[in-house]
Formats: sequence, structure tokens, C-alpha cells
Amino acid sequence: MSRAKLQGLGIDLPLFPVTSVGSFPKPDFLLKARADYANNRIRRGALEKAERQATEFWIRKQEELGVDVLVDGEVYRGDMVAYFAENLEGFEEGGLVRSYGNRYYQKPIISDEIRWDEPITLEWWKYARGITKKPLKGMLTGPYTIMDWSFIEYYPDRRTACLALAKELRKEVEALVEEGAKIIQIDEPAISVRPEELPVAIEAMHIMTDGLPAYFISHICYGDFEKIYPGMLDLPVDNFDLEMSNSGLDMLELFKRSSYTKDISFGVVDSHSHEIENDPLVEQRLRQALEVIPKEAIWVDPDCGLKTRTVDEAIAKMQAVVNAARALRAVTSDK
Amino acid sequence: MELMLCNHSSYPRIGDDPDRQLLRRTIAQYDKGEKTEEAVRAAQDRMTELALAEQTEAGLDLVTDGQIRWADPISHLAGKLSGVRVNGLLRFFDTNFYFRQPVVQGRPERREPLLLEEFRFAQEKSALPVKAVLTGPYTLARYSVAESGGSGGFDEMLEGYTAALAAEIAALAAGGAAVIQIEEPALLRYLDDFPRFERCLTALAMNKDSSQLALVVYFGDAAAVYDQLQTLPVDILGLDFTYSPRLVDRVASSGTARTLMLGLVDGRNTRLEDPVATARQLEILARGAGLNRAYLSPSCGLEYLPRDRARQKIRQLAFIRNTFLGSLS
Repeated sequence: MSRAKLQGLGIDLPLFPVTSVGSFPKPDFLLKARADYANNRIRRGALEKAERQATEFWIRKQEELGVDVLVDGEVYRGDMVAYFAENLEGFEEGGLVRSYGNRYYQKPIISDEIRWDEPITLEWWKYARGITKKPLKGMLTGPYTIMDWSFIEYYPDRRTACLALAKELRKEVEALVEEGAKIIQIDEPAISVRPEELPVAIEAMHIMTDGLPAYFISHICYGDFEKIYPGMLDLPVDNFDLEMSNSGLDMLELFKRSSYTKDISFGVVDSHSHEIENDPLVEQRLRQALEVIPKEAIWVDPDCGLKTRTVDEAIAKMQAVVNAARALRAVTSDK
Repeated sequence: MELMLCNHSSYPRIGDDPDRQLLRRTIAQYDKGEKTEEAVRAAQDRMTELALAEQTEAGLDLVTDGQIRWADPISHLAGKLSGVRVNGLLRFFDTNFYFRQPVVQGRPERREPLLLEEFRFAQEKSALPVKAVLTGPYTLARYSVAESGGSGGFDEMLEGYTAALAAEIAALAAGGAAVIQIEEPALLRYLDDFPRFERCLTALAMNKDSSQLALVVYFGDAAAVYDQLQTLPVDILGLDFTYSPRLVDRVASSGTARTLMLGLVDGRNTRLEDPVATARQLEILARGAGLNRAYLSPSCGLEYLPRDRARQKIRQLAFIRNTFLGSLS
């Protein structure tokens, strides 16, 4: 359990801390500003103003809902990999490729040596921290995922590209820690995809986190966990943020077979469905988690980032998460 | 050696210019109630024609419709069968592409043609022969979930998918498909299950009539199963060489009783193959395996690449062939 570590960092959280995976949908005014900027109708400063307004909107919304550990909402990012590729040297913009259905993203190309020249997320983290007193996660996409979701032209192989990324991205983690970030999430949704490469991902995560005074979370989703569990427990992080609902909580069966030893941010609502889960269903999912994982180790959140939902859907889903955490706190806190 | 050029299966349905973003735009408008189903179909038609034109322009001998109408390789077929509903997203192998998982109650049944109209449209619009492409029953079953659970549920799904696809192969053969390609990437993850896989494929092959049946495996190392693949009742065997450094030597030393579709051009990475190095691989294969006839192709569908790079890849096939033929002469 890492409650002691959190307390050592000066962070005291209730049972079942509520958080979110990271991204929230862009409000209409920001979508319009982005379109205007893309068509040269407004300047960069006007777009950034809209991004700050949208960030504040989501900070206030999380506070109103009763979320315990906040995120900045990532409304200033287009895509979780492309954003970092745009801000690191060595990448060039790739064309559009499809991710599912009618969703596309620009997959970057590693065409030169990767280099971190200046902080990427830090200014947004500082801005968000300045407008809330709640704990705020620093949010990065991890080196394995950036490597896996990029085309690799410069480096001879995937491992070399991944470790080069880790070495440079550590500088971003150090910048966040230096500025006071205590909880840092390194998203690695691709990590479950090639089980034979798990050692590479672990090596890269060591480069990212070793010796740094922060509570580390890693978000992993949409993969074949059976092939990387329990090996994934060797990733040097404190908390895995996992997509549980979309897969019918079947990972709990794995945890029964081989003990789960870290904290978990337990996904209790499906991020890719328009349907808003009702409170009893979400509570039931959380109760099932409690059958397998100690209550002190459980955080609660959606399966994945909510940026593909509408603003109203995202709020409703977060409300369902908060309601479930509160209901379970009421019945378990004295046990 | 006769070396023909072919597309693998999918082709990007989007590009950087507005004309090539027609389908995405139309579907987005359809989702908001601003466009009709007919408009979506017309956009799919247009993008299919563009995909065919780019393959023709690249000098291919055998093209595909680019699978422009497919939501994904699993639900596009399974979702049309009765007894199947389509559920949440799952990652497609080790790609960053996601498919909707079929949930199967009992045995899936084919009530209507699955791909025949799509094939007819593409063939009508193409001066070149169009290859019909289906995801195979084994891969469909592996990526579906049976509501009844257990191995009995899996077998029932597999039998249902096999029967449905066998009927579709008969329809495509009757519809004039010269080559029908069965894609079975899942086999390479379940090598121990080869006997069950063989039974499925044998059932499919019985319905091919005068069409050539191609079995294509990818996203894994086929070296270990190469000899077994040679025993299957297919005319063409498609291999992904990007996952296995041993496969060129393996094929060269074992030879082949089938026409090979050589996936030497990486369909997953933008880096263009060096024509000289790839031609050298072809030489090793041609001499070692004594090939008289083969297809050169990408290693997998090209939808994993941006359109400009996909287009460069299929053009590169012709450069590689020229280099290879030059080296022979």
C-alpha cells in the first residue's frame, strides 16, 4: 500500500479517492477557437485564452463534483502522443491514421534523434495548480506508448527508440517534481500490447521514475492483461489506473489467481459508451473490487480519458463515479 | 520468375486533402442527423474508387477495394450474422487500432451475403482483378466472446463462423472473384490449435470452386508453423516477413508447394524499404525455394499508414520488382 508514501508527501486522501484518467472533452467554445485558429481567424494568444478558460471550467467542475485528485483536463492537447511529439525534437508530423470507427489521429514519425529542450506540460500544471487547492496530478504519456504509437525511422529498433524517449522524458518528470508535483501519472496504454516487450517498458519506467520523490500512477488499458500479469507489477509505479468496466471486470479473476500488490485506480464507468451507468451498477463494480483488493488500495475513476464523450456525458459519468465512492465510503469506512 | 504485385487488404480511407476526407466528414454529419445513409454509401463508393485508382496507378496486378466500408476486420463480418451483437472496443492485435467485439449467443448464422455487393462494386469500377478479402473464422471466433462461455461456446462460434464464411466464399466465387483471401492473423498466436484451424480451412476450401483461395497470416512469426501451412488446401499462402528474421531462410530452405504472397514491405512502418536489400531477399527466396511465380505485397493491410506513405509503399513494390528483375538479368 502506498498510503504511507502519500502521507509522507503531505497528501491525505479519503477512502476510495476519486480521480479521472486525464482528458476531458473540449467545450464548444474551445472547439470553435481551435477551428478559428486552424483557419487563421484568431491568433495563438486567443486560442490559449480559450484553453485556459476550458481548463478552469474542468477544474471547477471537478471541485463541484467532489473529485479528490484533479487533472488539468488536457484540453490544450490534441492527442496524447502527438502532443508530446510536437513538443520534442526529433519528430515530424505524420498523416492521419484511423484508431477506431470514424476516429483518426496524426501518428508522428521519429525521423531524428529525440531531444527534450524545455518543459512541455509544466506551464499547464502550474496554471491549474494556481486555481485549485486540491491535489493535482502531473500527466505525461509514457515512453513505451509514444514509441509504439509512432513510426520509427531514425532508430534501428523499438527498444532503442523507447529508451531514448525515456531518457528525455525523465527531464519532464524532474521539472514537474521540482515545481512541486507530488502525484505524477505516466500513461502507458500500449504496454499490454506486446507482452514480450514488457521488460523494455519496465526498463524505461525505471529511467523515468527512479529516485524521484513522487507517487507514480500508470494508466494502462485495452490490452491482453492475461499475458502481462503479474509481470506488470514489476513496473516501478505505486498505482495502476486500469480499464476494468469495459472488460467486464475480468481482471479481478487474474488478481484472485496472483495477488495484486499495488494501489489501483479502478475504472468503474465505460469511457467509450454514450450510456451513463446507473449508481447501483457502478457501486456493484466497486463492491466487486473490494472482494479482491484491500479498501485502502482502491482509487476510483472512469476506464479511460473522457475526451471522446460530450461535456454533459463526461460530467454525468464523473458524477456516477463520485456517487459510488461516497456510497462505499459510508458503508466501509468504519469496518 | 514471374513476380506480380498486389495489395494486401485494407487501404487508408482518409488523406490530407479535403476530397480524401469526404468519408470522415460525411459520417460525422450522419451521426449528427445531417446526412442520410445514402450519402454515407456514396462517400464510401467515392473513397473505394480513389483507393482502386491509386493502386492501379502504382502498377499493381491485383488490387482490393481497400475495405473502405469496414468498421473493423471483426465486426464488419460478424456483425452481419444473426445471433451476434457487437459490443465494446478491444485492441486489434498489437496495433493502435480498435475493433468492436462480437458477443455471440449460440451459433452465428448467415442470413444474407456479407461482402458480395462490396466486391461487385469494386470489380465493376476496376480494370484490374479485385481480390475479395475476408477475415477468417478462426480469427473471428478468437476475437468474439460466447455468451455461453467455455470451450463448447468457442467451438459453436467457430463452427457457425466457418459455415457462414464457407457460404460467402461460394457466393464470391459464383460472383466472379478470381482470388479470395482468408485472413487468419490469430493462428500465429494459437499455434497449438492448428488441427482445429485446419478443419475450418478445409471446410472453406470446399466452396472455392474455380477461384484461387489465399490464406494470409500476419502480425506474428510464421517460421515455426511454415511446414504445416504448406499442407493446407489453399492456392496462395501469404506471409508477413516483418515479424520474423528467420522466415526468409526458412522459406528458402523448405521451398513451397503454393504460390507465395511475400509480405516483404512493412505495412506498419513509414520507413521505405531499400529496393536493393529487398530485391536481395527476393533473390534468396527465388533461388532457394525455386519459385516460378509469386506475389510481392505489403506485410499487412495498409490502413495503419498515413495515405501518402501507403501510396509510397505500393509504388515501392514496383521499384523493388524492377530492381529484382534487373538483378536477375
